[in-house]
Amino acid sequence: MAWYIGRRILQAIPVLLGSTLLIYAMVFAMPGDPIVALFGEKPVSEAVRSQIEQQYNLDKPFFVQWLLFLGNAAQGDLGMSFSGRPVSELLAETIPVTFKLALMALVIEAVLGIIAGFYAGLKRGGIFDSTMLVTSLLVIAVPIFVFGFVMQLTFGVKLGWAPVTVGGDASWDRLIIPAFVLGLVSFAYVLRLTRTSVVENLTADHVRTARAKGLTDGQVNRRHVLRNSLIPVVTYLGADLGTLMAGAIVTEGIFNIPGLGNLAFRAIQQKEGPTIVSVVTVMVLIYVVMSLIVDLLYAWLDPRIRYA
Amino acid sequence: MNPTPLLEIEDLRVAFRQGKQDVEAVRGVNLTVYPGQTVAIVGESGSGKSTTAHAVIDLLPGTGRVTGGSIRFDGREIAGQGKKVVRALRGSQIGLVPQDPMSNLNPLVKVGRQIAEVLVANDVAKGKDVDRRVVELLEEAGLPNAEQRAKQYPHEFSGGMRQRALIAMGLAARPRLLIADEPTSALDVTVQKQILDHLDVLTDDLGVAVLLITHDLGLAAERADHLVVMYKGQVVESGPALEILQNPQHPYSKRLISSAPSLASQRLLAQQRAEVREQAQEAAEELAEEVAHTDAEFGGGGDYVVEAEHLTKVFTLPGTAPWRKEDFVAVDDVSFRLRRGTTTAIVGESGSGKSTVARMVLDLLKPTSGTVRFDGVDISTLRSKQQQLALRRQMQPVFQNPYASLDPQYSIYRAIEEPLATHKIGSKAEREARIRELLDKVSLPWSVSRRFPNELSGGQRQRVAIARALALQPEVVILDEAVSALDVLVQAQILSLLAELQSELGLSYLFITHDLAVVRQIADDVLVMEKGRVVEQASVEEVYGSPQQEYTRRLLDAIPGGSIELSR
Repeated sequence: MAWYIGRRILQAIPVLLGSTLLIYAMVFAMPGDPIVALFGEKPVSEAVRSQIEQQYNLDKPFFVQWLLFLGNAAQGDLGMSFSGRPVSELLAETIPVTFKLALMALVIEAVLGIIAGFYAGLKRGGIFDSTMLVTSLLVIAVPIFVFGFVMQLTFGVKLGWAPVTVGGDASWDRLIIPAFVLGLVSFAYVLRLTRTSVVENLTADHVRTARAKGLTDGQVNRRHVLRNSLIPVVTYLGADLGTLMAGAIVTEGIFNIPGLGNLAFRAIQQKEGPTIVSVVTVMVLIYVVMSLIVDLLYAWLDPRIRYA
Repeated sequence: MNPTPLLEIEDLRVAFRQGKQDVEAVRGVNLTVYPGQTVAIVGESGSGKSTTAHAVIDLLPGTGRVTGGSIRFDGREIAGQGKKVVRALRGSQIGLVPQDPMSNLNPLVKVGRQIAEVLVANDVAKGKDVDRRVVELLEEAGLPNAEQRAKQYPHEFSGGMRQRALIAMGLAARPRLLIADEPTSALDVTVQKQILDHLDVLTDDLGVAVLLITHDLGLAAERADHLVVMYKGQVVESGPALEILQNPQHPYSKRLISSAPSLASQRLLAQQRAEVREQAQEAAEELAEEVAHTDAEFGGGGDYVVEAEHLTKVFTLPGTAPWRKEDFVAVDDVSFRLRRGTTTAIVGESGSGKSTVARMVLDLLKPTSGTVRFDGVDISTLRSKQQQLALRRQMQPVFQNPYASLDPQYSIYRAIEEPLATHKIGSKAEREARIRELLDKVSLPWSVSRRFPNELSGGQRQRVAIARALALQPEVVILDEAVSALDVLVQAQILSLLAELQSELGLSYLFITHDLAVVRQIADDVLVMEKGRVVEQASVEEVYGSPQQEYTRRLLDAIPGGSIELSR
């Protein structure tokens, strides 16, 4: 087991190197001059330009830029943003906000999705099941920003139950509505996955055997159907935390949340190489770690799986 | 015998809903089990035997429901009395030992816990007593190291051990009736015997009545006092086991008895076999000459078409750490020769390495050492695409599971055409003619060709697999447990088809099986394998008449019903 974890961590190194290189190449290939973008429409003097170019290594070929970035990153220095603040400081501010948001979304989608999916699966073909299937189809089909704006308008503007935007104070209660919006699509997937899995498990031989033991329907469903049905769901949820963190850009934009997504969006607009690469690297890292955790979780849930 | 019956089924009808129609699977079954008695329901798959049993404990699958008749347990009506009535009986009064030990234990829950559930649900034990009782029950079911075993998960158990755990589970709350639904059909013969012997002792000691469901008449007759023969949802004959066996009244029972490999008369078989062999060898010689003329690669092999010498296969398994690898010797120094136009059977339990030998002979797996010669040519030297195709044309396999070995997306026509297309044989019209001929050979109507595997029965699918194997006119067919998954009657049909084809086409068979009873009907020479080694190698007569090895004797003893005298 220890060897397995070690190997997985070693495997992350080429993944990180490759992804930073790719991002660097893409940033380099982006149209537009970052210095012009920085100064807006104002004219830039040659002296200032060359000074900025030197400061941010923009005069060097991209491969060298990448190597310099890696060298500094290894020493904990992720470079400076164009606004003059260290990127590491920006990350330290935004990661907790996005993490909080993603975690809340995950809890909401998991709890609601599993409960609804479980009951829909047990009463397959019933009214609840049909309603849930139609609802989930609707949720998957409609773009997430539509729900974002509708919820913002309903709960924020009309009813006034929640702040319209989150702004600087990203506390738990202010993030509830955005987290719900963020988790909505995944909720539909969790529901469907749980439902299918429950339906499948209900007809399993060992479930019939459990009934033959004299267990009540409730006992059979809890002990032998639910847990077995959760294996694919847990796998999905684990991978989803990464997606939620990376995919929060739209939600963060709508509710003006100062998170990782917002930071990435602004950095891309201004072609800030070091910031973009750092944000993406963090996201890749989250993915790698989450998929490792999911695999370990999988082995814990399913004793048949052993890693060596 | 006790005059009040424990279980009384009267005119029971069970139907499944298909679309808007009710399809009756059980049509008016009558059945009585007295306390302590063992009653066996015998029939082929689809006869409604399992459905009848599941109706008793209200665990019918899918849309199944009881549409008529009555089920009385201990004098009390339980059919259609609501869920609670039957649930109160499950476990505590009626235990179940299900069919497939692989799928009937929850893979995520420790075995001990799963047995404990029965005790707790039926208020048999509480608190600390539960764990102690679980260990006792596992020991009682004949599981060594019960204390450690209780803490393990099902995947750490072998098939036989799982079935023991399921027996412990079925008997945990000391029910008065045990429904054993094909309890050993998924197990090796020797394990089957041990488990059934053990179940007999247990149920006798505890005075538990058993409703045994099986497709194997020999097994039923050996284990039960009373037989109920079912066919197409109806009871066609019932009575004391020996009486039915020696004097069957219904034509279906007669057919069942004459087809059961374990019961068939020996001398008759030996005679038939000799005739088949004579014809086959003649045809094979002609075939060999033909091959020698047409094909540059093969044809110098003389009397032996396949010769395997010192075959060994070692698999390397990953150990606890990457640098610690374990070697597993699956096949250890196996040599044999297959005479042209005859059948050599390789017999052994699962894990004995018999299928690995087959795969090496087929050149699907590279031996670690040793050689396979086909018609005198070492097959490991055939490395060009053409040479390999030429070998494949001469040697074709038929596998065990006809459900898995046909592509569900391929029509029967396409399945049989595929080898012809791969080897670029014939024009479109010629291929069609060939497929007609092949379907005819395996006694399938032409109309089957447009259907898909899921529309055919197991026996029909196996016929298709045989037709596909014969498409390229091979000299050798390798049959890997080709009849093991089939019902007795279908099995008998396929075996006689194989014999017919052998005498007509001069085929040589390598017949791999775990069932010694079948071997007598098809084989001339036998190889008995145990743990990768050949322990006995002789002619069929010698193996049956005077087995030299303890292991062979054990395999022979394990054939169910082998000792029952028939009045013929």
